[in-house]
Amino acid sequence: MAEIELVGLSKVYPGDVRAVDSLDLTIPDHEFFALLGPSGCGKTTLLRTIAGLEAATEGQVRIGGEDVTALPPGKRDLAMVFQDYALFPHMTVVDNIAYPLRVKGKPKDERREAASAAGDELSLSGLMERRPAELSGGQQQRVALARAVACRPRVFLFDEPLSNLDARLRLEARSFLKKLQKELGVTTVFVTHDQAEALAMADRIAVMDKGKIRQVGTPKEVFQRPVNTFVANFIGSTPMNLLPGVVSGDVVQIAGQELPLPADVRDAVSAGQEVVFGARPEYLVFSPSSVPESLQGEVTVVENLGTAALVTLEAEGLSVAVTVPEGAEPELGDKGWVTTTPGRVLIYDGADGELVGSRVPAATAA
Amino acid sequence: MTTVAAKPGTKSETGRVPASPPMMTPRQVVGRIGFYTLIAFVTAFFALPMLWLLSTPFDDTPTLALSVPDLTLNNFRDLLDNQYALGSLVNSILLSVGTALLVVAFAALAAYSLSRVKIPGRDMLLYALLLLSSIVTGTAAMVPIFLMMFELGLIDSRIGVILVLSGGLLPAAIFILKDFVDTIPKSYEESARVFGASSFQILRHIVVPVIRPGLATIGVWTVVNVWGNFLVPFILLRSTDKQPAAVLMRTFYTEGGSPNLALISTFSLLYSIPVVVMYLFVNRKYGFRFHGGIKS
Repeated sequence: MAEIELVGLSKVYPGDVRAVDSLDLTIPDHEFFALLGPSGCGKTTLLRTIAGLEAATEGQVRIGGEDVTALPPGKRDLAMVFQDYALFPHMTVVDNIAYPLRVKGKPKDERREAASAAGDELSLSGLMERRPAELSGGQQQRVALARAVACRPRVFLFDEPLSNLDARLRLEARSFLKKLQKELGVTTVFVTHDQAEALAMADRIAVMDKGKIRQVGTPKEVFQRPVNTFVANFIGSTPMNLLPGVVSGDVVQIAGQELPLPADVRDAVSAGQEVVFGARPEYLVFSPSSVPESLQGEVTVVENLGTAALVTLEAEGLSVAVTVPEGAEPELGDKGWVTTTPGRVLIYDGADGELVGSRVPAATAA
Repeated sequence: MTTVAAKPGTKSETGRVPASPPMMTPRQVVGRIGFYTLIAFVTAFFALPMLWLLSTPFDDTPTLALSVPDLTLNNFRDLLDNQYALGSLVNSILLSVGTALLVVAFAALAAYSLSRVKIPGRDMLLYALLLLSSIVTGTAAMVPIFLMMFELGLIDSRIGVILVLSGGLLPAAIFILKDFVDTIPKSYEESARVFGASSFQILRHIVVPVIRPGLATIGVWTVVNVWGNFLVPFILLRSTDKQPAAVLMRTFYTEGGSPNLALISTFSLLYSIPVVVMYLFVNRKYGFRFHGGIKS
């Protein structure tokens, strides 16, 4: 069990590609930490640099207070689960799980005992003599986890551990993985490009883009108060509405219409300032008849989400998405009015995309 | 074909015979007959020498014609009387197994490093080696090779033959094996490295077992190549008791100077058995399959 500390960490590839750009981050002991970002944002490179599979160009990696930047991966006392699981095809499950102990030179009896214990923990007891090719995807993933568990490391690193499972299995594996991590209490860093996965599993999330961390916070913070338009756009299964507008007194003018400016940011903006008005579709209210302080548009798309529908309105070239509870879906071509929920509107600076007025209490509701 | 022709009749009587094959036109029937006749001729053409090899050693009066033999084992007794015959087969085994071990060991090391370490011009190097390798054991290089082995004091030495043959076969072996190593996902090795395995442990525990079918292929291919090689042992070995079977066979003539068919056919049969046995064994033991442990 150990804290991970990254100090001014950079990884530069030939051709001056900065995959990780002078990054500072502290992951406390026992935490389940997610690195989230679009592909190519440097999250996997960062994980591999922590593992020691990539050498850091600058900066330090510290695990448990000890500088491990110059140590080879095998000396860092961590275990990594790869996206393709990397189970050795010629070894049985029990040999696969016991492999880290074999490298450490443990006697055969001890190895098998530790492997069966780890296998039992991940309900693999009936499969110990099989080969990886004879297992399903979910079983292979559990073998890879058991192999990581068996060597009792201080740190777990997971590289997209769920991306090779089908959708139903992924949901099961999510809660399973979270439970396992809590039981073992091992500091865990996992990489994912799936924001829903990160929100569901992690204690804290770092959203990355172009080698830099754009926001670090709990899933709630990152979901409810994304600190810039990049994070706002990336987090959430339906993307946040980001509407360009201009401040005019107590309102924001958007596409020739007006929406109220949240009271808490009125001091932080000036009249005529260009801003981005951010509101999640879930936090907008659709009305089929005219209501005050609303945005009017024409229904162009209705997507069924199961318990709700995602309705897209067109207003003077702008699209606004709003969720509508089941049974209340409008028809295509209908007129609709959208109002905001107080406390759920975020105003971003039009120039740099940063959140305006950050002194608002983060969450008022669940 | 005749049964097919008979079916339409029964069909018209009952009217509900399910889906019989459609009747062939006369043109198709003739085509089929012609095709099978051709196949039969081609098969016979290739089968005759094999049948000759199987029957002549047991024939009392061997000729070049294929005939039903007057069964006898005298030819085998005559062959055993030749003091070099069995020894030459042992020599063939020593040379081919020795070369195969050397080639497999070095090709595995070289293929692994060439596959994993990026050096500029690596592919060019491999292609150049491959092209030049045919020269090493080829006729053109025999004089310099003879001189070199003479300087090294390796004339009339089995080690010398093994070294020259290994040198000639290694480039192609490395080339083939590198393809096998290239198919091993890097994550296998990275995973082992994270668990603390050294490069040599990775090679021994993971790379070698995973490419075992490739190693078996290279081993068999080397043995077959050495087994059939005449020129190199012929030039480098002086003593008859060190010569392999392929070289010894040229001495099986009668006093009159005509080939001794009894000895040649019997010896050829014994000469081919080890290779066939080896192929069957390797195919059974290693097969040519890849287990796969990557979900993609």
